Amino acid sequence: METRIRVLLLTAALAVLPGCATVRGWFHHGHKSAPAAGADAGSAAASDDTTPPRVIEPQVERRQIKVPRIRSSNVELGLFYGALSIEDFGTNPVYGVTAAYHITEDFFFQGEAGRSRGGRTSFETLSGNIQLLTEAERRFTYYDLSLGYNFLPGEAFIGRGVAMTSAFYLLGGFGATDFAGDTKFTVNFGGGYRVVPADWLALHVTVQDHVFQTSLLGVTKLTNNIEARMGATVFF
Amino acid sequence: MHRARRRPRAALLTVAALLLGALLPAVAGAREYLQLFVTEPYLELHTGPGRGYPVFHAVPRDQSVDVLFRRTDWFKVRTERGVEGWASQADMLKTVLADGSPFKFELGDQAGFSAHRYELGVFGGEYGGANLLSAYWSVSLNPQLAVEAAAGQFLGRFANGETGDLGFTHVISPESRWSPLLMLGVGIAHTEPKATLVTPSNRTEQTAYAGGGIRYYLTRRFFLRLEYKAHYIFTKRNENEEEDEWKLGFAFFY
Repeated sequence: METRIRVLLLTAALAVLPGCATVRGWFHHGHKSAPAAGADAGSAAASDDTTPPRVIEPQVERRQIKVPRIRSSNVELGLFYGALSIEDFGTNPVYGVTAAYHITEDFFFQGEAGRSRGGRTSFETLSGNIQLLTEAERRFTYYDLSLGYNFLPGEAFIGRGVAMTSAFYLLGGFGATDFAGDTKFTVNFGGGYRVVPADWLALHVTVQDHVFQTSLLGVTKLTNNIEARMGATVFF
Repeated sequence: MHRARRRPRAALLTVAALLLGALLPAVAGAREYLQLFVTEPYLELHTGPGRGYPVFHAVPRDQSVDVLFRRTDWFKVRTERGVEGWASQADMLKTVLADGSPFKFELGDQAGFSAHRYELGVFGGEYGGANLLSAYWSVSLNPQLAVEAAAGQFLGRFANGETGDLGFTHVISPESRWSPLLMLGVGIAHTEPKATLVTPSNRTEQTAYAGGGIRYYLTRRFFLRLEYKAHYIFTKRNENEEEDEWKLGFAFFY
């Protein structure tokens, strides 16, 4: 019963509303039908229709904000120098280049390439003139692609006036090593410490192990080649 | 001697390609700084670009900061008094431009994942039975289509070598977390057989590939990619060769 009354009222409302919409039309029609009502009446009707004249014309032009592009500085390029202990071939200087891209505050992505030279094995030293490898084969070249994770962020202080942000990081990745006439799939992992004296400069101390399988000395074994190095990088 | 000299060149090329990919967007930098106004009670400045670095300064409401540059999700800003510090992305979202409009920038979230410009990633996998390491860089033409360059090195028992690919990748549903990919392109493959019984020569051959894969959005700017490529190697011998490439990789967009 109640629903029926509601439907009836809604129908009535629907029927009346479009009719109301034409009320404005009726009003104007009334004025138009009396054109001879005098000049004053006519102008009054006209001013009803238009917006009132502005009292103050604003002379201010809206300021256009040009949004300059914000420079991103996520790329870190650098050089390093250190010592590489090549298993069975002694410890030798190593040098190379690194390139890193900082993805988030925690993670970065790093590519590096380095070169060193294997020394003489104990066997070669003891036996006199026997050479296991040629000079060219002693060259130790590696590259790898790693993911880095920053942890323990902090500050390093020099005296009272200088504070530099710093962080430790872990590195892990894979790559290839060219040594003794063959290229081997290599896994690398390690860690480091980074100090940032200026926004564009970072200093690193890194220790990494490069692990690969070799059968150079008769038996197949995994070799650990530990590298300790210092580096300087520039942010771009 | 010849072999030993070739390796570093391949390694350097890979590093150079990665550098190029990472550097291109960073080159064009404007020296005019963006001025932003603080609308929250204050804007906290940290000593370094990370949540672990302590807050050392607060910029009060209605004061402005100049944005010097950005590193990951942090903005290096300078206050009106010349104090420089790092503000987080979340805090910067609450600042406004001089005309009162909110400061908007690319966030590096899943919306960014659906439509971004560059991708960089690394893969580990298998190429014709050998271990494969590879890296790729891509430029998106639109959310669905990207031009992709990949460089790889394979290390096997019988041969080592390098591959280089250039092609198109089509993302079927870029807005969803999982999406299939289709790939088509050309490349080169350099193979160095390991000399044991006979002495085969090194060879460089042209290739073409068709492939497919899946990408999966992890979090922030990271995603995973699993790919298969069927390579057709156009040899100078009587028969062409086919090699399968399977790889799983980790990538990010920027």
